[in-house]
Amino acid sequence: MHSFEAISLDALDTMGTEQLDTLPFGVVGLTSEGLVEIYNATEERLAGLPREGVIGTHYFSVTAQCMNNFMVAQRFEDEAEIDAVIDYVLTLRMRPTPVRLRLLKASGKERHFILIQR
Amino acid sequence: MTSELEAENAALLQFLYACPAGLIEFSASGGIGMVNPAAMNLLLPIAGRPFVTNLFEVMEGCAPELRNMIQRFEPAHGAICDGHRIVTGRGDRSLVLACSIVKLTQERYITTLTDVSEQVARERRLKQAEAWFASLLDGVDDVAVLSLDANGCIDAVTGSALRQTGFAETELLGRRFEAFDRPDRASAMPLPGEAIAIARRDGWHLHEGWHARADGGRYWCQRLVAVRDHAEAPSAGFTLVMRAVTRQGKDAADLRRMLTRDHLTGASNRAHFFEAAERQRVRSLQGGESMAVIVLDVDHFKRVNDGYGHAAGDTVLREVARRCEAELRPEDIFARLGGEEFVALLPSATLEMAVVAADRLRMSLAGKTIDCGEAQLSITASFGCSTLDAAPAATLAELLAAADAALYQAKRSGRNRVVSFKADQVAA
Repeated sequence: MHSFEAISLDALDTMGTEQLDTLPFGVVGLTSEGLVEIYNATEERLAGLPREGVIGTHYFSVTAQCMNNFMVAQRFEDEAEIDAVIDYVLTLRMRPTPVRLRLLKASGKERHFILIQR
Repeated sequence: MTSELEAENAALLQFLYACPAGLIEFSASGGIGMVNPAAMNLLLPIAGRPFVTNLFEVMEGCAPELRNMIQRFEPAHGAICDGHRIVTGRGDRSLVLACSIVKLTQERYITTLTDVSEQVARERRLKQAEAWFASLLDGVDDVAVLSLDANGCIDAVTGSALRQTGFAETELLGRRFEAFDRPDRASAMPLPGEAIAIARRDGWHLHEGWHARADGGRYWCQRLVAVRDHAEAPSAGFTLVMRAVTRQGKDAADLRRMLTRDHLTGASNRAHFFEAAERQRVRSLQGGESMAVIVLDVDHFKRVNDGYGHAAGDTVLREVARRCEAELRPEDIFARLGGEEFVALLPSATLEMAVVAADRLRMSLAGKTIDCGEAQLSITASFGCSTLDAAPAATLAELLAAADAALYQAKRSGRNRVVSFKADQVAA
């Protein structure tokens, strides 16, 4: 099952770019320093940003300032393991957009994920 | 491959995503149309929940005035506020935001939000430092403390205030603190309400000028209006601290003279005139009153300089300033604009009153010779007047230009006379 709620961090980690691009929700994969490694086609389209401009940048300070707070960015710093779904409002293309975020972080895994469902 | 337009679009989006200042587009009812991440990041903690769709609802708790400011703003478009301060939250989690709003259409507004908490903290410290240094420099004799309500009306006084001013408590309570200002020609007073507005914005407002005493006299007063620090009610009111300065340091007095007076004649200098005149113009407009500008130019002044030397010329200019100031009211401003050209600003004077005043100046110059040592010189001047009641929408520059045009006419029609500008004379 590759649904927004059910997909596992392991599954995401092993998927190739093409597979990730077929997922109907946004997938952002970050290094432990917060640099963007994965930015799938869905997220590319909805945020209006081609992945070449996002990959390698610091996600919370360049692209997702609105997640740079205690509700999202801080949790990745504070918590060793997260698998949580939260209701949120993003400013995609400057429009306040209600979304559901799934935050995924596991101990022993270098990469963590933010899944975004509109 | 992305097209050029798409690439540009992406660059613009990234520009806005990364912008360090909050940027919001919203409707007349507060509905957020567009918002950048920095703005959302500032709004989320205020809202306390992640669903932020209406600016007025989010700001209801800390800045309910935003809604009113927008409703009250009548022009079809324009800046509604610039750097309006909003204190959010409470206690140690409180932030101060600077908010600027521009109205684009009846339905569309844009605002920027910036976190200025650090600056505000710095200003507070600066205020303390400044107050300390002022007391060291000026030899403060007495400090009076009063309490002002949110509108700047005195709502409590201490014994020190009664001692300093001589007024009884009942004479002070309920009155606006500015009612006790006694401005003179040399002091540019803030507009009524300006001190409160600035204190509300920046936390404080400092001013020095003449202040009334109960016996009809006045004293030189340093005045600090400071926002009262109540985290739970930021607009509770203000504390007014007044310091009577009887021994104004010689340096401070010299500096003040240098900054506001013309070194030769002792009249106000240009800078001071333009500052004071612009304030007066705004005040007159607000009060629906007139204001007169009289420009005067000494006739054939070159002949004095050429025939009797520059020392005689200087004597003439000093005497012109002395005689004119003696004929003017205390609230009038008399300034040297340059060379042998002077200007008088008469608050609340109509065109008719200005012509009478100008003719009084004219006669006081022409009536008696000026003693220049070896020579007794007969001096006349030509006058041009313009007023707000004749040209209600005029800017200061326009008033001066109109007075200049009238002065030119006075010169052309024979000198030693007063000509007033009338709107219908422009074509004549």
